[in-house]
Amino acid sequence: MLSRTFRAGLTVKNSVRSLSSTTKTLSSYDQPDFSSYLHNRSESTNRNFAYFMVGSMGLLSAAGAKSTVETFLSSMAASADVLAMAKVEVKLGAIPEGKNVIVKWQGKPVFIRHRTASEIDEANAVEINGLRDPQADADRVKKPEWLIMLGICTHLGCVPIGESGDFGGWFCPCHGSHYDISGRIRKGPAPLNLEIPEYDFTDEETLLVG
Amino acid sequence: MLSALFQRNSVYVATVFGGAFAFEGFFDKAINTWYDNHNKGKLWKDVKGKFLEGGDEDEDDD
Amino acid sequence: MFRSSIKASNTVFHKAAIASVGLTGLSASYLLYKDSMTANAMTAAEHGLHPPSYDWPHNGMFSTFDHASIRRGFQVYKEVCAACHSLNRIAWRNLVGVSHSASEAKAFTEELEYEDEPDDEGNPRMRPGKLADYLPSPYPNEQAARAGNQGALPPDLSLIVKARHGGADYIFSLLTGYPEEPPAGVQLPPGSNYNPYFPGGSIAMGRVLFDELIEYEDGTPATTSQMAKDVSTFLNWASEPEHDDRKKWGLKAIIVISSLYFLSLWVKKFKWQPIKNRKIKFNPPKN
Repeated sequence: MLSRTFRAGLTVKNSVRSLSSTTKTLSSYDQPDFSSYLHNRSESTNRNFAYFMVGSMGLLSAAGAKSTVETFLSSMAASADVLAMAKVEVKLGAIPEGKNVIVKWQGKPVFIRHRTASEIDEANAVEINGLRDPQADADRVKKPEWLIMLGICTHLGCVPIGESGDFGGWFCPCHGSHYDISGRIRKGPAPLNLEIPEYDFTDEETLLVG
Repeated sequence: MLSALFQRNSVYVATVFGGAFAFEGFFDKAINTWYDNHNKGKLWKDVKGKFLEGGDEDEDDD
Repeated sequence: MFRSSIKASNTVFHKAAIASVGLTGLSASYLLYKDSMTANAMTAAEHGLHPPSYDWPHNGMFSTFDHASIRRGFQVYKEVCAACHSLNRIAWRNLVGVSHSASEAKAFTEELEYEDEPDDEGNPRMRPGKLADYLPSPYPNEQAARAGNQGALPPDLSLIVKARHGGADYIFSLLTGYPEEPPAGVQLPPGSNYNPYFPGGSIAMGRVLFDELIEYEDGTPATTSQMAKDVSTFLNWASEPEHDDRKKWGLKAIIVISSLYFLSLWVKKFKWQPIKNRKIKFNPPKN
């Protein structure tokens, strides 16, 4: 009774879906209509098309994944306000010859010395082989008249005092390290010369530290 | 031609990943060009010639 | 007979459902009607007049700000609004490449002084501004701002477009919406002005924009509405500096993700085809 009701209710051509599985029903089993799945492409064209579609999806996914990963990674980079603070511009015209200027760069003092010709000669005259951290003066400056270095003693991080010490350069009051006019360690406990930061002369008058 | 890329899986995968890089460059360029063209006259690079004398670009809209 | 009993219970249920829906609808409309009879709350006067939606150049889905307008708006802000309102989330470097060149922005900063680190004796020092500095506030703190404005605090304008219903439309309507005199019967507290777009109608800020108040460098006539439009655009940019890039990314995302959607539909169909078309044939044992 139930199956008859179903049969009457369903207007679909294939009534095989009913609960009956008698041989009688099976004999009237029709092939379902698959014509909408058929196409008239050749087998190789069809295969290439499938590969192309799958490949395109992989390509777009890969590009999207790459972009996503890049976004996450770049969020770990320094933000724009930090980058803007990371450079210091110094007007060199205001520094007379033979004077020291200390500027703050990323919270650290930077020594800028406008050296005189005699100081440059003095720095070049030093025999570098006998030094603790041998380095020629020419390797420490971009322009000989401008000596730019981090004002942090390489021993324990004090700030050395300018125009003092036994070598006419800097003297660290904490443990008595003496630096010469090229910022090289000459006497005392410090192991290395004063560090040179990244810097550039953007024009004749301007120094960009950072 | 196209089917040569599908013969070996290594070639196929390499094509897909290489294509992703090529696509990204091309797509970014195409979108930027369209976007700048769509907003022509409103962008800073279009109007800066009007405000900056002797700027690197001299564009006079009206 | 089984089915017919279901049918019978169905009709009863149907009638009950229809009746209850009808009852709910009727009582709801009655309550709404009663509510609409009382006009003292939730009115335009209390919430401020709804601003009309203007045809901003950046309204489109893929439309950027009008950067010439941002530049003029900055001039309006600097010469008019900055007397009372701060804009402390915008740094000078933000203007570079948006409305000004780097050298112009530097020229602005060099006119200003910012607090430097104290000198060796601990005395406070001042230094000239840098691009990394933020726009200066007109008042040193909130108390000073209130004291200078009869107790009213001029809000910071960095996010004002996002923070007000109606956004740039509201700012424009507010700036241009001051009537010559308040409508009859409106009682204003002393020192306040009438503006129908401001919630409550009484605003401490007076009308500030008047024709020819400033002179634009590009020769645009400085009418009240022109200045209001420019400063609204500028403040909209200040609230959403990422706006132009965001819309570009949106375009890219829409194209890529919708292509991926259609490709994945095709690939799903392709992968499921042999499974959906599979037929299982059962040969019953002969005996």
